[in-house]
This record gives sequence, C-alpha cells and structure tokens, in this order.
Amino acid sequence: MSDFIVNIIHRPELAPEYAEKVTGSGKKENIKRTDLRDESLDIFRFQQETAHKNGLKTTIQMTYASLFSDEAVAIAKEDHARWGDEIGLSLLGLPCPQFREKYHTREFCIWMFSMEEKKAIVDDVFGLFHERFGFWPESTSSYYLDADLIHYIKTVCPSVKCAVATCWEEGPKAYHTCNNSWYTFMDGGPWAPWIPSRQNTHAPASGPEEDSGIVAIPHLSRDLIACYDGNGSNFGTHPQNVLRGMIYDTATWEFPYYYNLVDQYRSLEKYNDGYAYNMMFVGPGWLNRMGRWEAPYELLKKSYEEGLGYYGELKKRGELTDLTMSEFADYYRSKKSYHEPECAPWRDILYGSDKQLFWYCDANMRACINMDQGGALVDLRNYAAKLRIPVGVGTGNPVDASYPFLIQEKYRAGYFTHYAGAGTIRSAVFSHQGYEANLCQCRTHAHFIEEELEEKDLLCNAKGWKKKKERCLILDPVELELGDLKFKVLTRIFFPEGESLIKMARKVYDFSRKDAKVSLKEYMTACYGTTEYAQDMTGITLGLDSPESRSGARSQELLEYQYRDRSRRMEGAKRAWAVIPQIQTNVSMEISRPDACGFIEEGYAFSPMFTLGFTADLSEGEEAVTWLRLAKEN
Amino acid sequence: MAQAGKGKLNYRCPSCFMRDLDIDMFYDTKKEEYYCIRCQYHGSEEDVLSKNEMARFRYKAMRKRFTSFDFD
Repeated sequence: MSDFIVNIIHRPELAPEYAEKVTGSGKKENIKRTDLRDESLDIFRFQQETAHKNGLKTTIQMTYASLFSDEAVAIAKEDHARWGDEIGLSLLGLPCPQFREKYHTREFCIWMFSMEEKKAIVDDVFGLFHERFGFWPESTSSYYLDADLIHYIKTVCPSVKCAVATCWEEGPKAYHTCNNSWYTFMDGGPWAPWIPSRQNTHAPASGPEEDSGIVAIPHLSRDLIACYDGNGSNFGTHPQNVLRGMIYDTATWEFPYYYNLVDQYRSLEKYNDGYAYNMMFVGPGWLNRMGRWEAPYELLKKSYEEGLGYYGELKKRGELTDLTMSEFADYYRSKKSYHEPECAPWRDILYGSDKQLFWYCDANMRACINMDQGGALVDLRNYAAKLRIPVGVGTGNPVDASYPFLIQEKYRAGYFTHYAGAGTIRSAVFSHQGYEANLCQCRTHAHFIEEELEEKDLLCNAKGWKKKKERCLILDPVELELGDLKFKVLTRIFFPEGESLIKMARKVYDFSRKDAKVSLKEYMTACYGTTEYAQDMTGITLGLDSPESRSGARSQELLEYQYRDRSRRMEGAKRAWAVIPQIQTNVSMEISRPDACGFIEEGYAFSPMFTLGFTADLSEGEEAVTWLRLAKEN
Repeated sequence: MAQAGKGKLNYRCPSCFMRDLDIDMFYDTKKEEYYCIRCQYHGSEEDVLSKNEMARFRYKAMRKRFTSFDFD
C-alpha cells in the first residue's frame, strides 16, 4: 500500500507581493488600497472554495496582514470548523500598513532581517495570532527559514511542528530570471520534506540531537530536471507556474505537463518505501482579475480549478491522502527514519529528450547522478559538514542562504568547457593506444534496486526502528570504441544508508580483442561556492596517502593550493583527498585496486578547480570500485 | 508621446523569455508596439504572440501525457 500525501496551503495576503506591483500599473504604490485588499480576500475565498469543492482540506497560513482583518479571521475559523482546515501562521505576507508603521521598512523576507528584528517580529506575529484565535499555531511558512529563526520560533511557540522552509534551487537562476532583482539565494536544499538540523536548515538532521523539532516542506514540488537548469518558478506544482513557463497550448488552454509533474511525483513512492509527496502553496497575487503574464484571468482560474480538480479526482479514486501540515508532520515522523534518504529517479517530461537524473538526499549529502552523461555525479553538497550559515542583516551574509556545492555542473561547468580549463564533475575516462573517451559522452538510463541491511535506524518520532538499506543504480551498459578496440562498461552506483559515501563500480567486458588492456581514470574535479563565480581556493590542501606499513607508518604527498597547476602522483596510493576549510569539508577517494596510482591536481587562476582520483589498468571482465567519502573537517 | 505604460496584459519580452529572463514590456501607443527596456526586441501584439509560440520550441513533450516515468 502506498501513500501519496498532498498539502494544499493557502495564505490570505492582503497586499500580495506580485499584485501590488502588477495591478497598480500607472498608480502610485499604495498598500492601503481597499480594492487590493478586497480582491485579495475574494481570491483567497475562491481558492478555499475550489479546494473544498474537490473534497480537499487545506492549511490556511494566516499572514500578519490578515490577522488585522476580521473578515479573514472569520473565514479561517469557519473553514476550520466546517472542513477541518488547519489554521497556521505564515511569515510571508508581512507587508501591510500596520507592519510598515511599526517596523519602518519595506523588507518582507523574514530570513533577511537582523536576528533582533526576527525575534521582535516572531514575538509580535505569533502573539497576535494567539490573541486572534486563542491557540498557538502548529505550522508556519516562509520562502526560507534559517536555523536560528527556526530555533527561535520553537522557543516562542513549541507547538509548531511543520514549516515551509525553502524553495528548491531558487538561487542564481531565480535571480537572473527576475532581471537580477530577486536578492535572495537558497540553492542546495532538499526537494522533498525533511527534518532540518539545528545547524543548517538545508542539511537534514542525522538524529534527535540534531533535530530542529520541525518537519520542513519545500515551497512547491518542482520539476527536478527543468528547475535545475531553468527558472524554478516555471516548473512546479502551482498551476500558475506552468502558465508562467508558457507550458500550455494557447489554442486549447490544455496543460498536460502539470499532470505529468504530479504523476511523476506520485511514481516516486516506488523508491521511498511507499511514500510520495506533493504540495501546493499559493498566495492570491497570481489570480488577480487583470491576468498574470500573458494569461487572462479566465485561464488563471481554469488552471487552478483543474489543478485542484486532479488532486480531488485522485482522492476520490483512493490514490491521494490530503493532510494538513501538522497532520503531515506526524505522518512523516512515524514513516521516516533519520538516515533514510529521499530518492528520486527523474525523467524529462517536458523537452522530449529522455534524459534521466537521479537525485539523492540524506543527512550526509545531496547528490545528483546524470544518466545522460554516463552516470556522472553532477551536483554534490556535503551535508555531513552541517555548516552553520547565519543569514540576514548583521551576520555579514544578508542574502545568501544557499548550501555550498563541491560539484555543480551548471554554475562551474561540467564535462564541457570552452577552450581550456576544467569543470566540476565526478566521472571516469577510459583510454587505449592514444584514444580516450569520457563516460560523460555516453547517454544511458538507470534502474533502481535496494537491499535491506542488518543495521537499524531510529524513526524520526523516536518510537521505533527501521532497517537501513543500500540503494543502487544499475546503468544500462555503454559501448566504447577506442581505436581498434571495442568494449562495454557496466556502471553501478551504490548509496549505503548513513555511510556518507558514494560507491561506484565499473566493470569492463566484451572486449573485441581479449588480450587488450584499457586504462581507467576515476576522477573528481571540484571547487566550492554557491554561485557561478569563483571563490578563493587559497587554503585548500590536496593530499595522497600511502597504505600503512606493518609498523603503522605511511607516506604522504601534499599540495597547498597556490594556483600553480601542480600535480602529484603516488603508485599504490590508499587515498586521494582534499580539505576545503572554507566549507569545513574533507572529501576523499579510495579504490579497490592496490596497483592503482593516485593523483591530485591543483588548478590555476583561469581554472580554479582541483582534481583527485586514481588510474588503473583493466582487462576483460575486471572491475574497479571507488569510494567517494564526505566528512566534516574542523 | 506621454510616458509608456503596460499593455492590456503583462506581455513579457519573448526574446528575453528565451534566455530565461522574465521582463514585462511597455507599450508605445504612438508606434502601437510593445518594446523591451532591456534588449532591443519590439513588436506588435500579433508579433509578440507568434514569438511566444516560437519560445515553446524546446517543449517538445508539452502536449504529451506520460504514463511511465522509469526506463525499466
């Protein structure tokens, strides 16, 4: 029996961040306008009615502005009593005359205020909520909630157990899409619900001691291919996202992509112990009567009705469970264990390319494997480091809440670079008699299997245990042709639960000349950062360790990063590694073959990367296994 | 001519949209055309709509309903 859980969340903003600018064209900005307030309330009513018509309950995320509206409060109370909707409290929708008069600012992003202001606003907003409703909320929301803010909310209001806490991959891509005016960055987080650690919201907790006390959900369920390369706001489970992306037929107003997106999320239950999740979190600004983007109001309305209609239809068929946010938090904690990953093989459902990615997220890492590039690792975040990244005014970091990458194929190239230099990627190169091929040149697909391990992991509600598993991708074999030699390569990629490592196995077989040998180079090219632009690599150390001798001694080769394009090799090396103090990261690679040669390569200013890896010769039927490990470096 | 304003809908620049940039255009009543203040695109409503269709060239599976999401 599988569960497809959906959270429908509405927030009665009375001066929506979009409508304020858009509907006011030609008029001076005025958030006191009564027509804006009235229209926003009408839209909120329409959204609620549409959900209820389809048999769906909602979570109403009251905004600060709406707490001053008797009408909004009355609607929430009525819908709570009649439909079982949860009344939560959003930290979005702060703008209103009362807020501006009190705080003297047009800032609207809670995570970017100073800590002192965050505390004052939380005290104020939560206090006002209690005053209006007579109870404390169990859920809250924002586009991002930093770890310190979550901690403070839990202090003021321990009843909060669920929060919308990030927007998946809304970093530089969203910024560029908004004409470089959307000054908030939150790349590098989970795409599906998780329990944030106390240290960093994006990095999931690895146990009760790190548990922030809430279940976090992302803002919308995003397309895991389209959003990684393009504008996040075009490809999510918010019908108007799909209109913003112009992903509809202008003649018929049909948008099958939306249903494909929902259905692909439903299919993920196969890889996550029978559980799949979707959320729709919608403010009123998108549904204003003047239309939005190229879409007239009638199309906006149709998309919303049909989007919720599909969820309603699934519920009627018994294929969907609608929960409120706090109900979902209880479900999640009873279902998941702390080290259990979220797994998402993701197929292109928009561009017709048959491209496939595999996203993996647990308490130690977020990783993306690209089958269109032979199973290369194209995105990697070291959650094991649990980086504390305070964000907001006064922290020295007002806007960037992104969790840093080691590998990001879009921001720091990948396999392909122009003219010179290297891009971030973890791949393999085969060579033979002067010819070579990188597995990034091979398009393939993967199949997912999993195997239970003996070890057990604590459930997130601490009321039981669950067996750990090892997940594995088996890639369809690819054929390489190097001069007069043809052979096949089978790649298997393993993710043992809780181990903070990725194991890759390459087997070569079907040689056209049975006596031939091929040279294999397993490598990772990496750097660190959160945007496209290079950071200073000074301070990074690269190293090679020999195996320990009987006396326990070992030799070491070291390179302190100085942009001098140096390299070192060590025959029979045990480990190649890098320490990146800027992100408190130790990343290392080991290989199964004692005859392999380890190497480390420094970059240079035009190519501010480092590379580490191994080379080994393989004959027909032989296999090489590598382990890429991530750890926190203090 | 008086200052430009928005047209009847918030038409975005189709040229910028194709480079993942959302920027509303302004309408020049004298020339009866929309224009982009960031790039050099300008055109009538009819031209905007036709370029928006062109922008969909990359969505080759936009009209397809998928029933399978794996490659097993």
